[in-house]
Amino acid sequence: MPKRWEVYPGKSQVLCSGRCISAKNLSVFYLTLALIVISSCLFLAFDCRLLAVTLSPSVPVLAAVQFIFVLCCLLRTTFSDPGIIPRGTPDEAAWIESQLEGPQVDRDGNYRPPVRLKDVQINGRVFKLKYCFTCKLWRPPRASHCSTCDNCVDRFDHHCPWVGNCVGRRNYRYFYLFLISLSVYCLYVMVFGIVNLVLLSNMRKDFLMAMKESPTSVLTILVAFFSIWSVVGLGGFHTMLICRETSTNEDIKGSFNQRRHPDLINPFDQGNGLANCCYVLFGPVTPSLLNFREDEIGLGSSISLVTNNGRNGTVSAAAASTAVTATPAVRYSNLTRNNNDATSNSVGHVNNSVQVISESLPAQLPGDGNDVIVKNGNGAPADGVISGGTDAVGAQNSNTQSASSVHCIV
Amino acid sequence: MSSSKPLPNSYSATILPPANKAFVPRDYSHGTELRFSTELPAKLQGRIPEEVFTAVIGNINQLLIAAETGSASVYLESCFACLTGYLAYLCMETQYEKCLRSVSRLVEEYNRTVFGPRNLSMIDPSERGLRVIEIVLLRP
Repeated sequence: MPKRWEVYPGKSQVLCSGRCISAKNLSVFYLTLALIVISSCLFLAFDCRLLAVTLSPSVPVLAAVQFIFVLCCLLRTTFSDPGIIPRGTPDEAAWIESQLEGPQVDRDGNYRPPVRLKDVQINGRVFKLKYCFTCKLWRPPRASHCSTCDNCVDRFDHHCPWVGNCVGRRNYRYFYLFLISLSVYCLYVMVFGIVNLVLLSNMRKDFLMAMKESPTSVLTILVAFFSIWSVVGLGGFHTMLICRETSTNEDIKGSFNQRRHPDLINPFDQGNGLANCCYVLFGPVTPSLLNFREDEIGLGSSISLVTNNGRNGTVSAAAASTAVTATPAVRYSNLTRNNNDATSNSVGHVNNSVQVISESLPAQLPGDGNDVIVKNGNGAPADGVISGGTDAVGAQNSNTQSASSVHCIV
Repeated sequence: MSSSKPLPNSYSATILPPANKAFVPRDYSHGTELRFSTELPAKLQGRIPEEVFTAVIGNINQLLIAAETGSASVYLESCFACLTGYLAYLCMETQYEKCLRSVSRLVEEYNRTVFGPRNLSMIDPSERGLRVIEIVLLRP
């Protein structure tokens, strides 16, 4: 049975058996990596010899720490899923497209293409949602389709060739921290490169002699100097975008440009630059929805989950024709992964939410016989109802033997 | 007036939705937060009481919305991960993943108790990239 990464339809490059994803063309990324690594190595190997002795050994240590942080942020930006929305299944596509007004020829004989927009009001502002014919889904607000990678990306910012990937919801914070940390690091290297040259020229009493003696300093200073202009500029631009809770894509399109149109309010703005910063940089991290490491179980085999766990229903012919696996590949049902506390907490949560449902449901569901009987509040549970959470989950534990899936996309 | 231009061949005029599946779309009226529509799909009319369906989707929505809420623990977790150069994410599970995991468990329980007895099966929205909740009609 193929894994999902093996049947991935987009133009992105999937690496490490589904654990990493990036753009197909990484040539500019290799240039970025080379510039950072080579400059850092030259700085640490040559400049830091004098600096460590003359100033302090903490100079190369801090440089090394910054270098590692910059690399971590860069590699995370490049190889993580930017927030790709998996393509819709053929059934979903058929359902949506059957509701779209089809192409028509009007009175004048003009061809009108199928209508694929729908209006949605979000906090007082009307958004037009587009149906993406490539990905077969209604594109969420703030999502956009990247033509380079041929994916819809959630909160699409831009496709960056320097990092070799789209920048979207999931990797925007890594991209931003890469910019900021690289700005600081470039400044650090440039300053200490100059300090090194100054110290050397003081010792040799001749600046040109110092430059000839340490040509790598000159090289690293030049690289850092020219990089600073673009990196700091971009970092400043993105700081401004973050404080306004806007993406580059939205800024270019003028989606929230209130100077042009006062009614183009930003419903995602939390009202406060600091609150926006905190949410964008330190807010909840969406896991990758691609689930690349899972088996491509096909459309009908999810029905096997019901037949294994719950009551046996008659599986339709279409479903029966697909491979039914004994171990349902449900990503999040690996109950053995959590420790007991986490499990009991989550079970507690499930308990509460089921109590909500049990309070709102009628005492006996019509036409059910005695299959599903609900007792309100803290009453003794009846058959077929989630009772003490541990019991239900315990029963579930013995039934559900899903393969433990390691985090697939970083 | 008769049309003079024919429809393009690439468009199929007979797109039929699957007869045995109902889809619950995302509800974007509150923004980009994770929320599914609580409106009962036409295919499920008569198969499941509306208040039961609304309560089921409502409970799933509660868990999903909690996943995207920026709480103090979420911010602390992100700060800690940032300080480790995001290497911490290689070995720890995020709050979001825990919420999605509890949604999966809830969907399994609902399949056992609410949908299974009615010959319906709810597919975990994580399996569908959080685009739709798919409900399969096992018996016509």
